[in-house]
Amino acid sequence: MRYILFLLVSLNLFAVDATVKIEKDVENRTRIALVDGSSMTNHNFFKILQADFKISGHFLADKTHHKGDIRSNYLLPILKSKEYVLKYSLVQKSGTKLLIRLLKVSDGTEVFKKSYTIPSKNKIPFLAHKAVSDINTVLKYPDISWMNRYVIYARYTTPGKSEIVLADYTFNYKKSIIKGGLNLFPKWADKDQKSFYYSSYNGLRPILYKMNIYTGKKVKMTTSEGMLVCSDVRKDGKKLLLTMAPKGQADIYELDVSTKTTSRVTNFNGIDVNGKYLDDESSIVFVSDRLGYANIFKKDLHASSVSQVVYHGRNNNAVDAYGSKIVYASRESQKSFGSNTFNIYLTSSNSTSTRPLTTTGTNQFPKFSIDGNIILYTKHKGNGSSIGYINLESQQSLLFPIYGRKVQSIDW
Amino acid sequence: MIRKSRIIIVTMSAMLCMGCSQKAPDLDVEEGTNNISDSTEIARDTVAIDENSYGNENTDGVNGTKYNSSSDGFQSIYFGFGDYSISSSMENHITTNTNVINSTSATIKIEGNCDEFGTDEYNYALGLKRAKAVKDSIASQGVAESKMVIISYGESNPTCTSPTDSCYEKNRRVDLRLVK
Repeated sequence: MRYILFLLVSLNLFAVDATVKIEKDVENRTRIALVDGSSMTNHNFFKILQADFKISGHFLADKTHHKGDIRSNYLLPILKSKEYVLKYSLVQKSGTKLLIRLLKVSDGTEVFKKSYTIPSKNKIPFLAHKAVSDINTVLKYPDISWMNRYVIYARYTTPGKSEIVLADYTFNYKKSIIKGGLNLFPKWADKDQKSFYYSSYNGLRPILYKMNIYTGKKVKMTTSEGMLVCSDVRKDGKKLLLTMAPKGQADIYELDVSTKTTSRVTNFNGIDVNGKYLDDESSIVFVSDRLGYANIFKKDLHASSVSQVVYHGRNNNAVDAYGSKIVYASRESQKSFGSNTFNIYLTSSNSTSTRPLTTTGTNQFPKFSIDGNIILYTKHKGNGSSIGYINLESQQSLLFPIYGRKVQSIDW
Repeated sequence: MIRKSRIIIVTMSAMLCMGCSQKAPDLDVEEGTNNISDSTEIARDTVAIDENSYGNENTDGVNGTKYNSSSDGFQSIYFGFGDYSISSSMENHITTNTNVINSTSATIKIEGNCDEFGTDEYNYALGLKRAKAVKDSIASQGVAESKMVIISYGESNPTCTSPTDSCYEKNRRVDLRLVK
C-alpha cells in the first residue's frame, strides 16, 4: 500500500508537464472568437492572435478562423456562446495596417476600436501582440505587455562564427543585427530594450560591449582573459553581474556601469558562473561546481558565506531569478552522450518548495519575463527544437518551432 | 394600382429598415493618433551589422574559418566528458607543446573547447578550466606564465559535427597556437 501511495504521489508530481497541463479553470477565462475581415487571408496572423490570447492566461480563444465584414456589427449565431468577438482586418501595401473592433456579444456594443500601422511588413507579429495586450488592458486584466518586447539571442552559424538575432516572442519575426565574427551572450541593458550587452570573442581576449539597436553605436565596457559574460543587469541598469576570469579563474564580479570598475563577488577555485540578482538585489543566486557537480547556490553580495539552494539533481547548470523566485534547469538522465533529459524547476529563496515546470525533452535556458510571470525556455525533443513559454499563474504553455541553428544564449 | 402601392410600401419599408441598421463604424478615425509607434519602439528600424564586411577589432584568425585545431607544431590535448584534468595519456602532448614553446619567443594562445552537451555559461567555464589546466601543466615545466594567454570557446568551435561518441571526444580539447 505504501508503495502504491508513493507511486501515486510520484505520478502526480511528475504529471505537471507544462505542455499539457491546464490548471486554471477554463470557465474563468473570457471566451472570445476572432472574425477576419481582411481581403487577403493570413492564417499565420490568425494563429499568432490565438497564441497571444492563450498564453495571456485570461482568454479562451475560439480555434475557428471565422471570416466576416469588419464594418458590420452582425454576429454569426454560432458566436453567441462567446463573450466577445474580435473583428479585425489586416492590410499590407507599402507598410502594414491592422484595424480591430472588439464587440460584446451580449448586447452587440463596440467595446474597443483601434488602428495600428507600421512601415515594415516583417513586423506583423508585433501588431498582433500589441492588439491583444491592448484588449487585455481594456478588459482590465493583469498586464501582459511583455509580449510586445523583443527576444534577443545568439546562435552559431559555422564553427567559430555566430550571429545575434532579434525576434518577437513567437519567433515569427527574426532579424540578424550582428552577423559574422563570434559575438555571444546578448543581454538587454535597459527595460526599454534600446541597448544590449554582448561579448565579442573576436580577439585575444573577450570584450564586453554595449550596443544601441537603433544607431549601432557601441561602447566598450570591460575585457578579461579567458571568458567574459554579462549574466544580469540590475533593475536600475547601474550595475552588472559578470562572469569573468582576469586570473584564469571563472568567478562572478559586479561592474559599476558609470565608473567601469569591477568588484569580485565570488572567489572559488572551481567554476562559479551565471550570477543573477536575487530578492532586493543585495544578494545573488548562481551556478557552481563547489560540490563536485553543477548546482545552484546563493550568497549576499557583500558577505563571504555561500548557501546551497537546490538539494536534488546531479547537474543543475543554469539559473534565473526574479525577486525571490528562482528557476533552474536540471539534468534528469546520466547519459554521457546523446540527448539528456533536462527539466525546468521553480523554487524560491525563502522556501524549500520546488515544482517541475516541464517533464519531457531537453529543456534549457529558463528566463523570467520582465514582470516575472512568464518563463521562457528552449526545448529539444526528437529532431525538433522549440522556444517555450509557461505562464506561472495560469500554467498555460506554448511552444513555437525554432528552425535552423542552435541557440547559444537568449534574453528577453 | 393596389399591387403597385404594396410594392412601393414594401420598398420604402425595406429602405427604412436599412436606415435603422447600426451605422458602420468609422474605422479610420483613430489612424495616426493611435499608431503603434506612438506607444512602442517596435516600428523603429533596427541596425543590421555585418562584421564579415568591414572586419572586427582584432581578427587574428583564431576562430574557426582558418583552422579550428592546434597549429604551428602544437598538439591538442583531449579530455573526458565533463572533465578538466589532464590524463596520463596526454602527458607526451604536454611535453611536445612545451618544447615548441621553448623554441619560439612568440606568445602562445591556449584555447579551451567543449562538446555540445553543456549550457551556455557553464560550458564556457568548463572550456576555461581545461585551458587553465594545460597552461598550469606547461608552466610546471618551466615556461613563464606571461608567455601564455588562455581563452574559452565553449562549444562554438567544433572540429567534428557528427552525432557520434568519437566525434564528441574530438571536441573536448585544448588547442594551442602562436599569436601572430
